[in-house]
Amino acid sequence: MTPSSHPNAARRAALPATSRQLGAVLAFAVAAVLAACASTPPPPTEQIAVTTAAVANAAAQGAQELSPAELGLARDKLRRANLAMAAQDNEQAMRLAQQAQLDAQLSQAKANSAKARRAAEEVEAASRALREEMSRKAP
Amino acid sequence: MNTPNNTRKSAFGKTRHLRLPLALLSLAVMAACSTTPPNNARVDEARNALRLAQSDPQTQGLAGGEMRQAADALASAEAALAQREDMATVDHLAYLAQQRVNLLVEAGNRRASEMAVAKATTERDQMRLRARTAEADAAQRSAANSQQDAQAALREAEAAQRAARTAQASAEASRRDAVSSQRDAQTAQQLAGEAERRAQALEMQLKALDAKKTERGMVVTIGDVLFDTDQAQIKSGGLRSMDKLVDFLKAYPERKALIEGFTDSVGDDGYNLALSNRRADAVRAALVGMGVSGERLTTRGLGEAYPVAGNDSTGGRQLNRRVEIVLSEDGGVIAPR
Repeated sequence: MTPSSHPNAARRAALPATSRQLGAVLAFAVAAVLAACASTPPPPTEQIAVTTAAVANAAAQGAQELSPAELGLARDKLRRANLAMAAQDNEQAMRLAQQAQLDAQLSQAKANSAKARRAAEEVEAASRALREEMSRKAP
Repeated sequence: MNTPNNTRKSAFGKTRHLRLPLALLSLAVMAACSTTPPNNARVDEARNALRLAQSDPQTQGLAGGEMRQAADALASAEAALAQREDMATVDHLAYLAQQRVNLLVEAGNRRASEMAVAKATTERDQMRLRARTAEADAAQRSAANSQQDAQAALREAEAAQRAARTAQASAEASRRDAVSSQRDAQTAQQLAGEAERRAQALEMQLKALDAKKTERGMVVTIGDVLFDTDQAQIKSGGLRSMDKLVDFLKAYPERKALIEGFTDSVGDDGYNLALSNRRADAVRAALVGMGVSGERLTTRGLGEAYPVAGNDSTGGRQLNRRVEIVLSEDGGVIAPR
Protein backbone atom coordinates (compact mmCIF):
# COMPACT_ATOMS: atom_id res chain seq x y z
CA MET A 1 0.00 0.00 0.00
CA THR A 2 2.82 2.25 0.68
CA PRO A 3 4.13 2.09 -2.94
CA SER A 4 0.68 2.93 -4.40
CA SER A 5 0.44 6.19 -2.46
CA HIS A 6 3.10 7.81 -4.47
CA PRO A 7 1.48 7.39 -7.93
CA ASN A 8 -1.86 8.28 -6.34
CA ALA A 9 -0.46 11.48 -5.09
CA ALA A 10 1.12 12.18 -8.47
CA ARG A 11 -2.22 11.50 -10.21
CA ARG A 12 -4.03 13.70 -7.73
CA ALA A 13 -1.69 16.50 -8.73
CA ALA A 14 -2.16 15.88 -12.50
CA LEU A 15 -5.98 15.56 -12.57
CA PRO A 16 -7.39 17.76 -9.84
CA ALA A 17 -11.27 17.73 -10.02
CA THR A 18 -12.75 14.62 -11.73
CA SER A 19 -10.02 12.24 -10.73
CA ARG A 20 -10.45 13.13 -7.06
CA GLN A 21 -14.12 12.17 -7.28
CA LEU A 22 -13.29 8.91 -9.00
CA GLY A 23 -10.69 8.14 -6.35
CA ALA A 24 -13.20 8.62 -3.59
CA VAL A 25 -15.62 6.20 -5.28
CA LEU A 26 -12.86 3.65 -5.71
CA ALA A 27 -11.73 3.99 -2.13
CA PHE A 28 -15.29 3.48 -0.94
CA ALA A 29 -15.74 0.41 -3.12
CA VAL A 30 -12.47 -1.11 -1.90
CA ALA A 31 -13.42 -0.36 1.70
CA ALA A 32 -16.85 -1.93 1.19
CA VAL A 33 -15.34 -5.08 -0.36
CA LEU A 34 -12.82 -5.34 2.44
CA ALA A 35 -15.51 -4.87 5.11
CA ALA A 36 -17.69 -7.51 3.47
CA CYS A 37 -14.83 -9.99 3.35
CA ALA A 38 -13.59 -9.37 6.87
CA SER A 39 -16.52 -8.92 9.25
CA THR A 40 -19.91 -9.56 7.60
CA PRO A 41 -20.52 -13.23 6.53
CA PRO A 42 -23.77 -13.97 4.62
CA PRO A 43 -26.96 -14.41 6.69
CA PRO A 44 -27.15 -18.08 7.95
CA THR A 45 -30.62 -18.74 6.55
CA GLU A 46 -29.80 -22.37 5.77
CA GLN A 47 -28.51 -23.08 9.28
CA ILE A 48 -31.55 -21.34 10.75
CA ALA A 49 -33.81 -23.62 8.70
CA VAL A 50 -31.89 -26.73 9.79
CA THR A 51 -32.05 -25.66 13.42
CA THR A 52 -35.77 -24.88 13.21
CA ALA A 53 -36.41 -28.35 11.83
CA ALA A 54 -34.26 -29.93 14.58
CA VAL A 55 -36.25 -28.12 17.28
CA ALA A 56 -39.55 -29.25 15.69
CA ASN A 57 -38.33 -32.85 15.49
CA ALA A 58 -37.25 -32.87 19.13
CA ALA A 59 -40.62 -31.48 20.23
CA ALA A 60 -42.42 -34.06 18.10
CA GLN A 61 -40.54 -36.90 19.79
CA GLY A 62 -41.52 -35.95 23.31
CA ALA A 63 -38.58 -33.76 24.27
CA GLN A 64 -41.00 -31.22 25.75
CA GLU A 65 -41.88 -33.75 28.47
CA LEU A 66 -38.70 -35.82 28.71
CA SER A 67 -35.97 -33.20 28.20
CA PRO A 68 -37.50 -29.76 28.69
CA ALA A 69 -34.28 -27.97 29.79
CA GLU A 70 -32.34 -28.73 26.58
CA LEU A 71 -35.34 -27.98 24.38
CA GLY A 72 -35.87 -24.62 26.13
CA LEU A 73 -32.23 -23.78 25.63
CA ALA A 74 -32.45 -24.63 21.92
CA ARG A 75 -35.59 -22.53 21.45
CA ASP A 76 -34.03 -19.56 23.27
CA LYS A 77 -30.88 -19.71 21.17
CA LEU A 78 -32.87 -20.06 17.95
CA ARG A 79 -34.89 -17.00 18.89
CA ARG A 80 -31.69 -15.04 19.61
CA ALA A 81 -30.18 -16.29 16.34
CA ASN A 82 -33.15 -14.90 14.44
CA LEU A 83 -32.79 -11.61 16.30
CA ALA A 84 -29.06 -11.46 15.53
CA MET A 85 -29.68 -12.15 11.84
CA ALA A 86 -32.24 -9.40 11.75
CA ALA A 87 -29.64 -7.09 13.32
CA GLN A 88 -27.12 -8.01 10.58
CA ASP A 89 -24.93 -9.79 13.15
CA ASN A 90 -24.66 -12.82 10.90
CA GLU A 91 -21.67 -14.37 12.65
CA GLN A 92 -23.43 -14.39 16.01
CA ALA A 93 -26.59 -15.64 14.32
CA MET A 94 -24.66 -18.55 12.77
CA ARG A 95 -23.06 -19.53 16.09
CA LEU A 96 -26.31 -19.38 18.02
CA ALA A 97 -28.08 -21.37 15.32
CA GLN A 98 -25.36 -24.04 15.30
CA GLN A 99 -25.46 -24.35 19.09
CA ALA A 100 -29.25 -24.44 19.07
CA GLN A 101 -29.18 -27.26 16.51
CA LEU A 102 -27.00 -29.42 18.74
CA ASP A 103 -29.06 -28.45 21.81
CA ALA A 104 -32.20 -29.60 20.01
CA GLN A 105 -30.56 -32.82 18.86
CA LEU A 106 -29.32 -33.53 22.41
CA SER A 107 -32.83 -32.85 23.71
CA GLN A 108 -34.23 -35.37 21.23
CA ALA A 109 -31.51 -37.93 22.06
CA LYS A 110 -32.22 -37.59 25.78
CA ALA A 111 -35.94 -38.06 25.14
CA ASN A 112 -35.24 -41.18 23.08
CA SER A 113 -32.83 -42.69 25.61
CA ALA A 114 -35.33 -41.95 28.40
CA LYS A 115 -38.03 -43.77 26.44
CA ALA A 116 -35.69 -46.71 25.83
CA ARG A 117 -34.76 -46.80 29.52
CA ARG A 118 -38.43 -46.80 30.47
CA ALA A 119 -39.11 -49.66 28.05
CA ALA A 120 -36.17 -51.60 29.48
CA GLU A 121 -37.46 -51.07 33.01
CA GLU A 122 -40.92 -52.26 32.02
CA VAL A 123 -39.63 -55.36 30.28
CA GLU A 124 -37.32 -56.14 33.17
CA ALA A 125 -40.18 -55.71 35.64
CA ALA A 126 -42.36 -58.02 33.59
CA SER A 127 -39.53 -60.50 33.37
CA ARG A 128 -39.02 -60.31 37.13
CA ALA A 129 -42.73 -60.83 37.74
CA LEU A 130 -42.75 -63.84 35.46
CA ARG A 131 -39.70 -65.29 37.21
CA GLU A 132 -41.32 -64.80 40.63
CA GLU A 133 -44.55 -66.37 39.46
CA MET A 134 -42.68 -69.37 38.07
CA SER A 135 -40.58 -69.81 41.20
CA ARG A 136 -43.81 -69.63 43.25
CA LYS A 137 -45.54 -72.10 40.97
CA ALA A 138 -42.66 -74.56 41.13
CA PRO A 139 -42.94 -77.00 43.98
CA MET B 1 -1.59 6.65 6.73
CA ASN B 2 1.49 7.76 4.93
CA THR B 3 2.58 10.16 7.53
CA PRO B 4 2.96 7.76 10.46
CA ASN B 5 4.68 5.27 8.17
CA ASN B 6 7.21 7.90 7.29
CA THR B 7 7.82 8.91 10.87
CA ARG B 8 8.15 5.20 11.95
CA LYS B 9 10.62 4.68 9.12
CA SER B 10 12.65 7.62 10.34
CA ALA B 11 12.50 6.31 13.89
CA PHE B 12 13.68 2.86 12.74
CA GLY B 13 16.47 4.57 10.95
CA LYS B 14 17.56 6.23 14.13
CA THR B 15 17.47 3.02 16.11
CA ARG B 16 18.84 0.73 13.44
CA HIS B 17 21.33 -0.79 15.89
CA LEU B 18 18.38 -2.10 17.95
CA ARG B 19 16.64 -3.99 15.12
CA LEU B 20 18.51 -7.27 15.36
CA PRO B 21 18.03 -7.85 19.13
CA LEU B 22 14.31 -7.00 18.81
CA ALA B 23 13.85 -9.44 15.96
CA LEU B 24 15.57 -12.17 17.96
CA LEU B 25 13.39 -11.43 20.96
CA SER B 26 10.20 -11.61 18.96
CA LEU B 27 11.29 -14.90 17.41
CA ALA B 28 12.03 -16.31 20.84
CA VAL B 29 8.57 -15.27 22.11
CA MET B 30 6.87 -16.85 19.11
CA ALA B 31 8.86 -20.05 19.54
CA ALA B 32 7.91 -20.23 23.20
CA CYS B 33 4.26 -19.79 22.30
CA SER B 34 4.32 -22.52 19.70
CA THR B 35 5.87 -25.11 22.04
CA THR B 36 3.38 -24.39 24.85
CA PRO B 37 -0.02 -24.28 23.11
CA PRO B 38 -2.62 -21.90 24.45
CA ASN B 39 -5.15 -23.21 27.00
CA ASN B 40 -8.94 -22.97 27.03
CA ALA B 41 -10.96 -24.42 29.90
CA ARG B 42 -13.93 -25.34 27.71
CA VAL B 43 -11.76 -27.16 25.21
CA ASP B 44 -10.11 -29.07 28.07
CA GLU B 45 -13.53 -29.97 29.44
CA ALA B 46 -14.74 -31.23 26.06
CA ARG B 47 -11.54 -33.24 25.61
CA ASN B 48 -11.87 -34.92 29.00
CA ALA B 49 -15.53 -35.65 28.38
CA LEU B 50 -14.74 -37.21 25.02
CA ARG B 51 -11.99 -39.36 26.54
CA LEU B 52 -14.39 -40.53 29.24
CA ALA B 53 -17.14 -41.32 26.71
CA GLN B 54 -14.74 -43.20 24.46
CA SER B 55 -13.65 -45.43 27.33
CA ASP B 56 -17.27 -46.25 28.19
CA PRO B 57 -18.19 -49.70 26.84
CA GLN B 58 -21.72 -48.42 26.14
CA THR B 59 -20.42 -46.24 23.33
CA GLN B 60 -18.24 -48.92 21.77
CA GLY B 61 -19.29 -49.95 18.30
CA LEU B 62 -22.11 -47.42 17.97
CA ALA B 63 -23.47 -47.67 14.46
CA GLY B 64 -24.18 -43.93 14.16
CA GLY B 65 -21.47 -41.38 13.47
CA GLU B 66 -21.66 -39.88 16.96
CA MET B 67 -18.11 -40.92 17.92
CA ARG B 68 -16.54 -39.51 14.73
CA GLN B 69 -18.62 -36.30 14.84
CA ALA B 70 -17.58 -35.66 18.43
CA ALA B 71 -13.92 -36.27 17.59
CA ASP B 72 -14.16 -33.96 14.56
CA ALA B 73 -15.81 -31.20 16.59
CA LEU B 74 -13.10 -31.43 19.26
CA ALA B 75 -10.44 -31.32 16.55
CA SER B 76 -11.98 -28.15 15.12
CA ALA B 77 -11.99 -26.50 18.55
CA GLU B 78 -8.39 -27.53 19.19
CA ALA B 79 -7.33 -26.25 15.76
CA ALA B 80 -8.96 -22.89 16.39
CA LEU B 81 -7.22 -22.70 19.74
CA ALA B 82 -3.88 -23.56 18.18
CA GLN B 83 -4.34 -20.92 15.51
CA ARG B 84 -5.07 -18.40 18.25
CA GLU B 85 -8.41 -17.43 16.94
CA ASP B 86 -10.45 -15.16 19.15
CA MET B 87 -11.84 -16.53 22.38
CA ALA B 88 -15.49 -16.33 21.30
CA THR B 89 -14.78 -18.62 18.32
CA VAL B 90 -12.84 -21.12 20.43
CA ASP B 91 -15.53 -21.11 23.13
CA HIS B 92 -18.19 -21.61 20.47
CA LEU B 93 -16.38 -24.56 18.90
CA ALA B 94 -15.68 -26.03 22.35
CA TYR B 95 -19.38 -25.78 23.16
CA LEU B 96 -20.26 -27.60 19.92
CA ALA B 97 -17.67 -30.28 20.75
CA GLN B 98 -19.12 -30.66 24.28
CA GLN B 99 -22.64 -31.07 22.88
CA ARG B 100 -21.38 -33.65 20.35
CA VAL B 101 -19.86 -35.61 23.28
CA ASN B 102 -23.18 -35.37 25.13
CA LEU B 103 -24.95 -36.69 22.02
CA LEU B 104 -22.46 -39.59 21.96
CA VAL B 105 -23.20 -40.37 25.62
CA GLU B 106 -26.96 -40.28 25.05
CA ALA B 107 -26.67 -42.56 22.04
CA GLY B 108 -24.72 -44.98 24.25
CA ASN B 109 -27.40 -44.80 26.94
CA ARG B 110 -30.12 -45.43 24.41
CA ARG B 111 -28.26 -48.39 22.94
CA ALA B 112 -27.67 -49.89 26.39
CA SER B 113 -31.39 -49.63 27.18
CA GLU B 114 -32.34 -51.18 23.88
CA MET B 115 -29.93 -54.03 24.50
CA ALA B 116 -31.44 -54.49 27.95
CA VAL B 117 -34.89 -54.70 26.37
CA ALA B 118 -33.70 -57.30 23.90
CA LYS B 119 -31.95 -59.28 26.63
CA ALA B 120 -34.95 -59.20 28.97
CA THR B 121 -37.28 -60.16 26.14
CA THR B 122 -35.09 -63.13 25.26
CA GLU B 123 -34.92 -64.15 28.90
CA ARG B 124 -38.66 -63.86 29.23
CA ASP B 125 -39.20 -65.98 26.14
CA GLN B 126 -36.81 -68.59 27.50
CA MET B 127 -38.58 -68.57 30.85
CA ARG B 128 -41.93 -68.97 29.13
CA LEU B 129 -40.51 -71.82 27.12
CA ARG B 130 -39.20 -73.46 30.28
CA ALA B 131 -42.55 -72.93 31.97
CA ARG B 132 -44.38 -74.47 29.03
CA THR B 133 -41.96 -77.38 28.98
CA ALA B 134 -42.43 -77.89 32.71
CA GLU B 135 -46.20 -77.72 32.31
CA ALA B 136 -46.09 -80.17 29.45
CA ASP B 137 -43.88 -82.54 31.47
CA ALA B 138 -46.22 -82.25 34.43
CA ALA B 139 -49.22 -82.89 32.22
CA GLN B 140 -47.48 -85.91 30.74
CA ARG B 141 -46.63 -87.23 34.19
CA SER B 142 -50.18 -86.64 35.33
CA ALA B 143 -51.51 -88.40 32.26
CA ALA B 144 -49.19 -91.35 32.91
CA ASN B 145 -50.34 -91.45 36.53
CA SER B 146 -53.95 -91.30 35.44
CA GLN B 147 -53.34 -94.13 33.03
CA GLN B 148 -51.74 -96.19 35.78
CA ASP B 149 -54.63 -95.37 38.07
CA ALA B 150 -57.06 -96.33 35.36
CA GLN B 151 -55.25 -99.61 34.77
CA ALA B 152 -55.18 -100.32 38.49
CA ALA B 153 -58.88 -99.49 38.70
CA LEU B 154 -59.53 -101.75 35.73
CA ARG B 155 -57.60 -104.58 37.38
CA GLU B 156 -59.52 -104.03 40.60
CA ALA B 157 -62.78 -103.99 38.70
CA GLU B 158 -61.85 -107.21 36.95
CA ALA B 159 -60.88 -108.82 40.25
CA ALA B 160 -64.15 -107.62 41.76
CA GLN B 161 -66.03 -108.99 38.77
CA ARG B 162 -64.28 -112.34 39.16
CA ALA B 163 -65.06 -112.31 42.88
CA ALA B 164 -68.66 -111.44 42.10
CA ARG B 165 -68.88 -114.28 39.59
CA THR B 166 -67.40 -116.67 42.12
CA ALA B 167 -69.78 -115.42 44.78
CA GLN B 168 -72.67 -115.74 42.36
CA ALA B 169 -71.63 -119.25 41.46
CA SER B 170 -71.29 -120.18 45.09
CA ALA B 171 -74.61 -118.53 45.83
CA GLU B 172 -76.21 -120.49 43.06
CA ALA B 173 -74.58 -123.66 44.37
CA SER B 174 -75.84 -122.81 47.81
CA ARG B 175 -79.26 -122.13 46.42
CA ARG B 176 -79.16 -125.41 44.55
CA ASP B 177 -77.99 -127.12 47.70
CA ALA B 178 -80.73 -125.41 49.62
CA VAL B 179 -83.34 -126.34 47.04
CA SER B 180 -82.01 -129.85 46.96
CA SER B 181 -81.95 -129.98 50.74
CA GLN B 182 -85.46 -128.65 50.77
CA ARG B 183 -86.48 -131.29 48.28
CA ASP B 184 -84.71 -133.92 50.32
CA ALA B 185 -86.40 -132.62 53.41
CA GLN B 186 -89.71 -132.57 51.63
CA THR B 187 -89.09 -136.05 50.34
CA ALA B 188 -88.02 -137.18 53.77
CA GLN B 189 -91.03 -135.47 55.20
CA GLN B 190 -93.24 -137.11 52.62
CA LEU B 191 -91.61 -140.45 53.29
CA ALA B 192 -91.91 -139.89 56.99
CA GLY B 193 -95.51 -138.87 56.52
CA GLU B 194 -96.13 -141.89 54.35
CA ALA B 195 -94.48 -144.20 56.85
CA GLU B 196 -96.46 -142.60 59.58
CA ARG B 197 -99.64 -142.96 57.59
CA ARG B 198 -98.80 -146.58 56.85
CA ALA B 199 -97.99 -147.21 60.50
CA GLN B 200 -101.27 -145.57 61.48
CA ALA B 201 -103.14 -147.59 58.87
CA LEU B 202 -101.45 -150.77 60.04
CA GLU B 203 -102.28 -150.01 63.61
CA MET B 204 -105.87 -149.33 62.70
CA GLN B 205 -106.12 -152.52 60.69
CA LEU B 206 -104.50 -154.55 63.43
CA LYS B 207 -106.90 -153.01 65.88
CA ALA B 208 -109.73 -153.95 63.59
CA LEU B 209 -108.35 -157.52 63.57
CA ASP B 210 -108.27 -157.45 67.35
CA ALA B 211 -104.58 -158.36 67.08
CA LYS B 212 -102.46 -158.79 70.16
CA LYS B 213 -98.85 -157.78 70.20
CA THR B 214 -96.61 -160.62 71.39
CA GLU B 215 -92.87 -161.21 71.28
CA ARG B 216 -93.34 -163.36 68.20
CA GLY B 217 -95.26 -160.65 66.37
CA MET B 218 -98.87 -159.65 66.01
CA VAL B 219 -101.21 -162.53 66.79
CA VAL B 220 -104.77 -162.65 65.51
CA THR B 221 -106.93 -165.25 67.27
CA ILE B 222 -109.84 -166.70 65.46
CA GLY B 223 -112.19 -168.33 67.95
CA ASP B 224 -114.03 -171.63 67.56
CA VAL B 225 -117.06 -169.69 66.58
CA LEU B 226 -115.76 -170.17 63.03
CA PHE B 227 -115.97 -173.92 63.30
CA ASP B 228 -118.66 -176.31 64.35
CA THR B 229 -117.66 -178.90 66.94
CA ASP B 230 -115.38 -181.56 65.52
CA GLN B 231 -115.54 -179.83 62.10
CA ALA B 232 -112.85 -178.14 60.14
CA GLN B 233 -115.21 -176.29 57.81
CA ILE B 234 -115.30 -172.57 58.40
CA LYS B 235 -118.77 -171.28 58.84
CA SER B 236 -120.02 -168.79 56.29
CA GLY B 237 -120.23 -166.06 58.96
CA GLY B 238 -116.62 -166.77 59.89
CA LEU B 239 -115.46 -166.21 56.37
CA ARG B 240 -116.81 -162.63 56.51
CA SER B 241 -114.88 -161.99 59.64
CA MET B 242 -111.73 -163.06 57.84
CA ASP B 243 -112.12 -160.29 55.23
CA LYS B 244 -110.20 -157.88 57.45
CA LEU B 245 -107.31 -160.31 57.67
CA VAL B 246 -107.25 -160.69 53.89
CA ASP B 247 -107.25 -156.91 53.47
CA PHE B 248 -104.32 -156.68 55.84
CA LEU B 249 -102.29 -159.33 54.05
CA LYS B 250 -103.01 -157.69 50.69
CA ALA B 251 -101.96 -154.28 52.00
CA TYR B 252 -98.66 -155.63 53.35
CA PRO B 253 -97.48 -158.12 50.78
CA GLU B 254 -94.03 -158.51 52.43
CA ARG B 255 -95.53 -160.00 55.55
CA LYS B 256 -96.01 -163.69 56.00
CA ALA B 257 -98.41 -165.53 58.23
CA LEU B 258 -98.09 -168.67 60.38
CA ILE B 259 -101.42 -170.33 60.93
CA GLU B 260 -101.54 -172.45 64.12
CA GLY B 261 -104.46 -174.66 65.07
CA PHE B 262 -105.37 -175.62 68.70
CA THR B 263 -107.99 -177.83 70.41
CA ASP B 264 -109.34 -178.42 73.93
CA SER B 265 -108.35 -181.39 75.93
CA VAL B 266 -111.51 -183.41 75.07
CA GLY B 267 -110.62 -186.48 73.02
CA ASP B 268 -107.26 -188.25 72.54
CA ASP B 269 -104.14 -186.32 71.63
CA GLY B 270 -103.64 -187.81 68.19
CA TYR B 271 -107.12 -186.92 67.12
CA ASN B 272 -106.87 -183.43 68.48
CA LEU B 273 -103.53 -182.88 66.71
CA ALA B 274 -105.02 -183.96 63.39
CA LEU B 275 -108.08 -181.83 64.01
CA SER B 276 -105.94 -178.80 64.74
CA ASN B 277 -104.02 -179.41 61.51
CA ARG B 278 -107.19 -179.63 59.50
CA ARG B 279 -108.54 -176.43 60.97
CA ALA B 280 -105.28 -174.55 60.22
CA ASP B 281 -105.35 -175.89 56.70
CA ALA B 282 -108.99 -174.82 56.35
CA VAL B 283 -108.07 -171.25 57.29
CA ARG B 284 -105.17 -171.35 54.89
CA ALA B 285 -107.39 -172.60 52.12
CA ALA B 286 -109.93 -169.92 52.86
CA LEU B 287 -107.23 -167.22 52.71
CA VAL B 288 -105.83 -168.59 49.45
CA GLY B 289 -109.34 -168.72 48.09
CA MET B 290 -109.71 -165.03 48.96
CA GLY B 291 -106.61 -164.09 46.95
CA VAL B 292 -103.65 -164.40 49.32
CA SER B 293 -100.60 -166.13 47.90
CA GLY B 294 -100.15 -169.61 49.45
CA GLU B 295 -96.37 -169.15 49.62
CA ARG B 296 -96.81 -166.59 52.36
CA LEU B 297 -98.88 -168.91 54.49
CA THR B 298 -97.55 -171.66 56.70
CA THR B 299 -99.76 -174.01 58.79
CA ARG B 300 -99.14 -176.08 61.91
CA GLY B 301 -101.40 -178.10 64.15
CA LEU B 302 -100.52 -178.05 67.81
CA GLY B 303 -103.44 -180.11 69.28
CA GLU B 304 -104.35 -179.45 72.87
CA ALA B 305 -100.95 -177.88 73.74
CA TYR B 306 -100.61 -174.22 74.71
CA PRO B 307 -104.05 -173.71 76.22
CA VAL B 308 -105.04 -170.13 76.84
CA ALA B 309 -107.64 -171.06 79.49
CA GLY B 310 -108.54 -173.96 81.83
CA ASN B 311 -110.11 -176.98 80.19
CA ASP B 312 -112.25 -177.67 83.28
CA SER B 313 -115.07 -175.37 82.19
CA THR B 314 -117.07 -174.97 79.07
CA GLY B 315 -116.02 -171.36 78.65
CA GLY B 316 -112.34 -172.33 79.14
CA ARG B 317 -112.50 -175.15 76.61
CA GLN B 318 -114.17 -172.82 74.08
CA LEU B 319 -111.31 -170.38 74.42
CA ASN B 320 -108.80 -173.16 73.84
CA ARG B 321 -110.46 -174.33 70.61
CA ARG B 322 -108.96 -171.74 68.35
CA VAL B 323 -106.74 -170.81 65.39
CA GLU B 324 -104.00 -168.23 65.93
CA ILE B 325 -102.49 -166.40 62.97
CA VAL B 326 -99.06 -164.96 63.69
CA LEU B 327 -98.21 -162.06 61.38
CA SER B 328 -94.56 -161.51 60.67
CA GLU B 329 -92.75 -158.15 60.44
CA ASP B 330 -91.75 -156.89 56.95
CA GLY B 331 -88.82 -159.33 56.91
CA GLY B 332 -91.19 -162.25 56.96
CA VAL B 333 -89.41 -164.13 59.78
CA ILE B 334 -91.48 -165.61 62.60
CA ALA B 335 -89.72 -166.76 65.72
CA PRO B 336 -90.53 -170.35 66.58
CA ARG B 337 -92.61 -171.16 69.63
